[in-house]
Amino acid sequence: MAGIDSEKYKQNAHKAIADPVLQSALTSLQGRLGPATKKLYNTLPEGQELRKIAHQYRRKAIDNLDVLLETLAENIRSHGGQVHFAPSAEDAVEICVRIALENHVRTVVKGKSMVTEEIGLNDGLEQAGIEVTETDLGEYIIQLAGERPTHIVAPAIHKTREQIGELFTEKLGTPYTDDPPTLTQDARRALREKFLTADMGISGCNLACAETGHITTVSNEGNIRMATTLPKLHVAVMGMERIVANLEEQQAILRLMSMGAASQQIGGYVSYVGGPAAPGHSDGPEQFHLIIVDNGRSKILADETFREMLCCIRCGACLNICPVYGKIGGHSYGSAYSGPVGAVVTPLLFGINDASDLCSGESLCGACRQACPLEINLPRMLLALRSKLSEGDPSWQVKPARNQERWLFRCWQFVNGNRTLYNLFYAVARKAQKILPTQDGMIRKLPYPFNGWTSQRNMQPLAPKTFMQRWQEKQEGKK
Amino acid sequence: MQQTFISTIKQALGRSQGSKPAEDLFTTEPSEHEKIVLTQIQQRTSAQHNANMSRLREVTGPLYVNLHEHSSLEETAEAIAALIKEKSPEWGTEKHVCRWDHPLINQLKLESLPELSGIPIHTTPIFDVTDQARPIPSSQKEQFRAQVEQSFIGITSADYCVAATATLALRSRPGQSRSVSLVPSIHVAVVKEKKLLSTLEELYTLLKWDPAERKEGLTNNLSLISGPSKTGDIELIMVHGAHGPRELHLFIIGEEQ
Amino acid sequence: MKHTPPVTLFVQCIIDTIYPDVAEAMVKVLEDLNIQVSCPTSQTCCGQPAFNSGHRQVAKAAACKFIDLFEEAEIIISPSGSCVNMVRHHYPELFADDPEMQKRAIKVGAKTYEFTQYLVDVLQAEDVGARFARKVTYHASCHLNRFLGVDRQPRALLSHIREMELIEMKDADRCCGFGGTFAVKYSDISEAILKEKVDNILQTGAEVVTGCDMGCLMNIQGMLSRINASVEVKHIAQLLAER
Repeated sequence: MAGIDSEKYKQNAHKAIADPVLQSALTSLQGRLGPATKKLYNTLPEGQELRKIAHQYRRKAIDNLDVLLETLAENIRSHGGQVHFAPSAEDAVEICVRIALENHVRTVVKGKSMVTEEIGLNDGLEQAGIEVTETDLGEYIIQLAGERPTHIVAPAIHKTREQIGELFTEKLGTPYTDDPPTLTQDARRALREKFLTADMGISGCNLACAETGHITTVSNEGNIRMATTLPKLHVAVMGMERIVANLEEQQAILRLMSMGAASQQIGGYVSYVGGPAAPGHSDGPEQFHLIIVDNGRSKILADETFREMLCCIRCGACLNICPVYGKIGGHSYGSAYSGPVGAVVTPLLFGINDASDLCSGESLCGACRQACPLEINLPRMLLALRSKLSEGDPSWQVKPARNQERWLFRCWQFVNGNRTLYNLFYAVARKAQKILPTQDGMIRKLPYPFNGWTSQRNMQPLAPKTFMQRWQEKQEGKK
Repeated sequence: MQQTFISTIKQALGRSQGSKPAEDLFTTEPSEHEKIVLTQIQQRTSAQHNANMSRLREVTGPLYVNLHEHSSLEETAEAIAALIKEKSPEWGTEKHVCRWDHPLINQLKLESLPELSGIPIHTTPIFDVTDQARPIPSSQKEQFRAQVEQSFIGITSADYCVAATATLALRSRPGQSRSVSLVPSIHVAVVKEKKLLSTLEELYTLLKWDPAERKEGLTNNLSLISGPSKTGDIELIMVHGAHGPRELHLFIIGEEQ
Repeated sequence: MKHTPPVTLFVQCIIDTIYPDVAEAMVKVLEDLNIQVSCPTSQTCCGQPAFNSGHRQVAKAAACKFIDLFEEAEIIISPSGSCVNMVRHHYPELFADDPEMQKRAIKVGAKTYEFTQYLVDVLQAEDVGARFARKVTYHASCHLNRFLGVDRQPRALLSHIREMELIEMKDADRCCGFGGTFAVKYSDISEAILKEKVDNILQTGAEVVTGCDMGCLMNIQGMLSRINASVEVKHIAQLLAER
């Protein structure tokens, strides 16, 4: 599912807002996870200061990516692992398919991984005739339903237990139930079979540690441990930015990530994988491959304005607090990455013009930055994206969009630059507003292009005199 | 490919324009604070041990970890035997148990308990402990894999247990199979009380700076386990036993009087 | 008594043209505290709508005008957290490639205060002698609260208003859905967010909703009025001017 479908942002948002099931799921999600995460930050033994320190760790790692990636690769090779570098999504898929075909893989079990969604790995493997099973329960439900995840951490929260019950009856042939423990057990049974027989396991990487030469995987279900322990091959795919230098930094960020992702002190299962099973060990994969993916990240790296985005560890904390995400849900963003993080990273990875609504469709309330375990300044980057959209930027191949808006703002600039003109403009507007329909003295319908305001809102009309006029009159009266 | 890939990164970082990599990326000595943490672990008083135990008692409940405290190997073995008798298998009808080949688990002598007679207890194969480089024949590996799949209880120890988060640290070593703590429906972990640490910070400081730990490293697989397998993916309702063990029983063996 | 420097008013364009009573109320509060007030009447909009929409050249022109006009002021105060955030934080950003202008922008920004911030942090005045016998709930605007870090100040001022009952709403610091041009361009989303805010306001049973940003309050008023709710919308300056 590589590629994006973000141009339908407005229509999708409209549909999502009208969906009562989704609305109640989003309210419940944000009501629980948002405040719980906020509370947990206060329990950090190092204090909230750790979030700023961890941001610096990430930033330092990003500023030294060349050294860190080479160190990681060297260390993983010394543990018997194989490291591959993929400049593009296609390269990454091709490498993974090649590994699978060389080893006669027919079935794959997968742990949830954002980067594999981003590069469309499942499609690639399936086209090569390989069966891919998502094993995170939420992802599994989504895969059975043929949908896209709606949340980075809780991919199926938009589905009710009844819908999941019907889905399981249809796809797994289990008797209908809407009881979550029974449904979980049904999935457990179906997936256990897949785990025990799969030829290859695929995982992402939450945050690699360069000095020790390990990737880490985090899950609560244990599915990633299953997928990376039982099959003969383990292929891990990581975005090239998911790395820090040393274990001290790694553990600090990992704890913060657990808080952001699932309001936990630490994820239920955290695994450090440094290579295949060592000789003399009775289990674990025979081969370990790490695919390190660029796919547009080096372009972000090169631009000082957006480099901070590479600090993101995709915990999804910003989704659990964002008022916009809280109303429109993940599907509206038309990309694997949704919410505030998606609004910045999707345009940067897939094209700013193509995802223009993602850059503009936020209220800039700043809650995301406050909720982010690393305090990443998403609002700043949204504003920077908007300036690229409005003014164009050849280095990002952005054509200036919104000609009409630009023209309006230029006129506005002219009027705003001169108080006499400004007064004249408002004098005319005051006269003109008299023809607008009203409700108890409030304007009920504004003309284009302001009509959006009055679909469910009234508008206080312009005052008979501006404050400046009143002030001037008062000063003259004093004289 | 690696060279082109890294040179793209170097270019993005402006390495040719004189931006140099940081020189202090990799730490080679513990900080003052980390030294204090290490001393704190070494010189732990019995009062501090007790405090850790109380902390563990507090957190295990909310994390759905069943905590069992015993003061001797014999008592622990009896309690584990009772658990094996009491619990029913999830996938079949026959009771099988698998376990690590680990000094502490071996000392439990579960195989010799009369109440467990008739219940197969499969031990992780070690082909030759002195020569780790010699691989276990794949037939033996496959046989043990089948035994693990059959088992409804897996018994392991752990390198450490962190009191604040009920986190067990398990490294892969010969005899210490990863699947024993993962595939069976019930994971039983047996740890001596002296392996208790207060916080994750202590755990990581040890792993990073303690000379013996540093020498061994994280191994090719270090797993930190905090509680049984769980999911909230259906309407955010917490359900235990998604893919990994449905139950986690933690046995702490106190110092014998 | 130490000398209190005169203040220069920076009046948000929405207040200037739609809600001049708010600025009048602010002047009253200041004058009652014996503060000398001046107001350059050639001021216009600070450029925030253009900036938030990405039209930085347009915003820059507004910023230049603002800086020229306010540079000589000793203290600049504004009844809008959002506009103060624009001047303090975004003006310097706009002139990132013009060190001379950036220096001027930073200087002007450093002496620009939001109204309640000025009263509490600069004047140390938490009790301005106000009396308002109504039930009130407070909306904590995003730019004020998160970007300027101003939350304690308005709450301290409110807590000193005589006979007033302050009822905390659920999620007082959650966005109201305004977001400037966002409210017009993405009105569906804006209104959905606003509806939640309005529900939370109605749930308190308050007679008045107040805040420090007329943008948010205009948004909230718009929906309250559409649904014929009787809750009144008042800027905090209006409450502080009540006697």
